Amino acid sequence: MSRLNPTDLELFERGILVRLSNVDAGYGAATVLMGVDFEARAGEVALVTGPAAAGKTTLTHLLRLALPPRSGRALIMGVDVARASGRELAFVKRRIGYVAETPVFIEHWSAFDNIAMPLRMLGRKPRDYAEDVRELVDFVGISEAADLPMEKLSGAERRRAAIARALAAKPHLILADDPTAGMSPADGRRVVRLLSEMRRVGAGVVIASQDESLADCAPILRWRIERGRLTQVDHAAPEEVEAPK
Amino acid sequence: MKNALTGVERALFLTLAFAAFAAAAAGLGARAVDRLAVHYESQRNAYAIVRVIAPEGPAGIAAAEIALARAPNVASAAPMTAGRAAQLLGEWGGGEVRAEDIPPMRLIEIELTRTGPSVDVSGDVMAALAQGGVTAEVIEAPDGVAGGGAVTRVRTAALWGAVAFALVMAIIVSLAARGLAARRRELVTVMCDLGATRGQAAGRIADEAAVLGLYAGLVGGLLAGVVGLVVMLLVIPGASAETLANMILPIDLAPIIAAPLGAAVAAGAGARGAAAYFHAKAARLG
Repeated sequence: MSRLNPTDLELFERGILVRLSNVDAGYGAATVLMGVDFEARAGEVALVTGPAAAGKTTLTHLLRLALPPRSGRALIMGVDVARASGRELAFVKRRIGYVAETPVFIEHWSAFDNIAMPLRMLGRKPRDYAEDVRELVDFVGISEAADLPMEKLSGAERRRAAIARALAAKPHLILADDPTAGMSPADGRRVVRLLSEMRRVGAGVVIASQDESLADCAPILRWRIERGRLTQVDHAAPEEVEAPK
Repeated sequence: MKNALTGVERALFLTLAFAAFAAAAAGLGARAVDRLAVHYESQRNAYAIVRVIAPEGPAGIAAAEIALARAPNVASAAPMTAGRAAQLLGEWGGGEVRAEDIPPMRLIEIELTRTGPSVDVSGDVMAALAQGGVTAEVIEAPDGVAGGGAVTRVRTAALWGAVAFALVMAIIVSLAARGLAARRRELVTVMCDLGATRGQAAGRIADEAAVLGLYAGLVGGLLAGVVGLVVMLLVIPGASAETLANMILPIDLAPIIAAPLGAAVAAGAGARGAAAYFHAKAARLG
């Protein structure tokens, strides 16, 4: 990690997981995010709401390092995204739990194996992680479906499995793109509460959704995105939290 | 290998095995051509004809036979009979030649022992004949006709032809293995999302493809070996398992050994390239 800037790392150590400064991003000729300033801290939950095609998913892609900024500065866990090498980006990605709008799984593997995959990638042995993964499976409420192949799970179960997989490696930053889509309001609120719980272990959580009522589920900082421009709705000054170890 | 050899994997396995079989068969064919060429050249070089100039008549032939029996590098010597000459002329000319039409000859067929390239065999034989009081000339197989000098070209063509064919098969194996990577694209995407580097994701798929290629190459190579043995038994007169075991050199088995290794390397490389591409697509949007 030779290209890491000590000042950037210091921000991360102070609990600032994400800092976007005047960032533009997009696909091909289309610029989707314009002049975005955003910050996410350890122990905080941020809810980004906005209408369809406002740029929520693009923001998530930017935060999960899948989309490079066109201009401005994107600092994620102390790494300047535009300047980082592939190895550095992969290193940071392993510390991000991502719940996609349409999660991708290895369909013929069991839900358990899919959820355990981040731990396997970290080199942990099944006997070491089996109990943790079982606890996680119980936590998201898919105990009965854990040993079924992914292709047998319902949409709601798949989403919960995606959440469990995102939490498996105890990430510093959790990103959820429309995690309540297709769920009943009650289930949706339960999922958001579940994600919000992760702030208690020092993780930062960013949830993108069209549903503004989710802000009532837990102590959440609200952001609003419209036509690619992001504004903070709440201006509460949360206390700085130490970055998760 | 979870779900190995089902559906697409089975088709891929058969494709790889067939390509390995074809490459190994071409390699075995090249070895056969090489062995035949060497054998032909060896026989051609070991044959010469002595034309007795003096003394004339049967006494000259008898004296030459005695001298040749003591000559270095001569394994055997036999005067050319009218019947033998008629047979050879019939073979070369295509028409029937009667022994009665052949005039008395002063020729002796000799079989030479193997010598190094620096030895002047003709000179040694003529010296031995001269010591026996015989004036004669030694006629060796000429370089310019009857395949003389072509052996090296034939061997080179067989080797590089087989290598070129094996490379084409390797490309086919490599392209086919990309199909496996395409089938594992979801795994590459998930690994990428979870923070696997390109090398880790591509390596995982390449390992799987290499194992598949190794087994397919083993099947293809062994099958080519079995087919080769059957062909040898059918084509070589009087061949048996025992004679074949003595006839086959370790180097002849190289194509069979190379088939699984080559298939594994080619499949691994093809799958690695495709998986790396899929990783790059998943890693960077926009």
